[in-house]
Amino acid sequence: MDWLLLSQYFFAGLVIGVIYSLMAVGITFIYSIMKMINWSMGEFYMIGSYVQYALVVWLLGPKMWFLGIPLSMLVVFLLGLVVEKLLITPMFTGGIERKDEYATVITIALMVFFRNLFSYIAGPYEYSPPDYAPPMKIGTLPVSGNRFVAFVGTIIILAAFYLVVRKTWIGRAFRAVAQNRVGAQTAGVEVEKIDMLGFGVGVALAAAAGALLAPVFMVFPENGAISTMKGFEIIVIGGIGSIMGSLVGGLLLGMVESLMSVFISPSYRDVYGFLALMIILAVRPTGFFGEKERLA
Amino acid sequence: MKRGRLLAVIGVVIAIVVIAAGYFLVARPRAKGPIRIGVLAPLSPPGDYMAGKLIVRGAELAAKYVNEHGGVLGGRTIEIVVEDDSGTPEKGVAGYKRLVTEKKVVAVIGQYHSSVCLAICPIADQYGVPLIATQAAAAKITEGHYKAVFRMHAINPARAKLWLEFIKKMGWKKIAILAENTDYGIGLLEETKAMAKEMGLAIEIKDIVFDRGTKDFTPQLLDIQAWGADLVINIGVGDDAYLIIKQAYDIGLYPKVPMLASYDFPVRPEYWKNLGDKGNYMLFISYYHPMMKLTDLGKWFKAEYEKKYNEPPVYTAYNAFGAVVVVAQAIEQAGSADPAAIIKALETGTFKSWNSDAVTFPRGEGIYWHQWSPPMVIVQYTKTGQKYETAPIVFPEEMKTGEVYLPGG
Repeated sequence: MDWLLLSQYFFAGLVIGVIYSLMAVGITFIYSIMKMINWSMGEFYMIGSYVQYALVVWLLGPKMWFLGIPLSMLVVFLLGLVVEKLLITPMFTGGIERKDEYATVITIALMVFFRNLFSYIAGPYEYSPPDYAPPMKIGTLPVSGNRFVAFVGTIIILAAFYLVVRKTWIGRAFRAVAQNRVGAQTAGVEVEKIDMLGFGVGVALAAAAGALLAPVFMVFPENGAISTMKGFEIIVIGGIGSIMGSLVGGLLLGMVESLMSVFISPSYRDVYGFLALMIILAVRPTGFFGEKERLA
Repeated sequence: MKRGRLLAVIGVVIAIVVIAAGYFLVARPRAKGPIRIGVLAPLSPPGDYMAGKLIVRGAELAAKYVNEHGGVLGGRTIEIVVEDDSGTPEKGVAGYKRLVTEKKVVAVIGQYHSSVCLAICPIADQYGVPLIATQAAAAKITEGHYKAVFRMHAINPARAKLWLEFIKKMGWKKIAILAENTDYGIGLLEETKAMAKEMGLAIEIKDIVFDRGTKDFTPQLLDIQAWGADLVINIGVGDDAYLIIKQAYDIGLYPKVPMLASYDFPVRPEYWKNLGDKGNYMLFISYYHPMMKLTDLGKWFKAEYEKKYNEPPVYTAYNAFGAVVVVAQAIEQAGSADPAAIIKALETGTFKSWNSDAVTFPRGEGIYWHQWSPPMVIVQYTKTGQKYETAPIVFPEEMKTGEVYLPGG
């Protein structure tokens, strides 16, 4: 086996794995706080990519693309706040008995709505913003500049997210609500506000992935579908609700897909991820870092 | 006596009502109502929805052409009814059935993805409503000898033959083929391998079949790069085709190693927007080049299309236009809008289209059953942002307008 080639496959898997993780962290963050699965996560990814495209092409110019990333996140964060206030809050305040079902129906409806809205606004075309960076070499490894930027950007965003969650008051409040809603409420945390912020932050992470990957996977109304599927796969591998699990799960899935698709066949690329998922669940039913829920 | 007269009056009234109802329900609408032609095309992912949009544009302009030129069967107009197949066989079958049973179309045109078309073929035979495939290329479509299925697009074996002759001329020995796992992709891959043997070509083929909808091709492209390919054949459709080019460029594989696209997506307006510099030097199969001669129908279409959409038409739209005008001529030749009569007329008649005045669909042998093939060429872009009309035809020899340029030497 050629070691250079093997290291190239390995690096390709690492890059894609870290990028998958960003999506998965957003999904698991929303789940851990609100105990709901956001099925429209891919559409927030898609909106992030459209906002980035519009900013880079019409406002900022190709050289200032990096300013587009936080702006895209901000736009989607604000959109997330509005969506949460209007559509998700009734889940907790409206006396809805089957909260899971409500969340599933409402987020799937959002998914369909956003896809069609963007098909209507931007047409069914694919768009691609200008490259963030030219192709480069790390040692002897040829690397796509755009992927490298997405890789580094993801690490920065995940590190910032980790610091906020671990070291700030708001992060502590997020963790408290994630551990026990009632307990956090009795300690004076306004859980409704935390829900709103948590949803906004979660979808902003998806938007960051969309904005970072816009020149890699292009911009079109359904570009979030694959990322959402991978994101769900990762959170189950890593353990639902675990941020560390999302990172490890993302890396593992990226590696498995990259290596198996070369050594066996790319026709079954999605099968490899699901096989890994089945094996891990058979050995550890809660995933790598899954914890049992703490109940009051 | 009075009773008898009353019964007679009632009898006459009933007879008048029955005759009038029969006239209004059956005879009158048929005489004056529009004739519906269905368009079944991918208008949403995972299908190539841009192609679907172009098919619809072509068909709508065809209806305009026919209606402005007197309609069919003494003045009846043509109405286009559109259904989305999403590029998936199950939606395609449901769409075909809806067009035939609910919308009462007399023929269906369109079809871009071979897998969808193949799923519909037996259903078309069952319902007996003709289907004219405008851009589905799998050999099995016509090889199946379906009574109601016709095609006016290049078949895979002809495409494979063209690029193998090109490879032979270029003296390339190591050919990597990236093909999607559909009837189109796998069919084309198999045809290429079989035909290379048949032609006695001493080439090595590295085939990689990928799942449609794959977003990351980097590991496969690295593999091809390490193998030392002389040519990469890109048998991706829609987004996948673009991603293969982008990712091959990013790892330094293309354009150092030339790439040949299996169909004409580079002629679409969004090609340069999506790829910029990365799209330069692309070689691709095409079925239409602006240097080619158009018929009067083709000239009318080109002018109307440019007026309406402010961009030049491409093959996908041209061929959908051609299919609808061919159906209209078949209705006229049959003297009836009955689907069985249209099928008979299609088999025996000669029709005018955008690129030929002698389109026929005879019951030919093997894959040439109900088949009409347009000419095919290989074109290459040589400048970023180049307009299609200035891109040279590089193969076949008898049609070429320029030489192949290899930036990798």
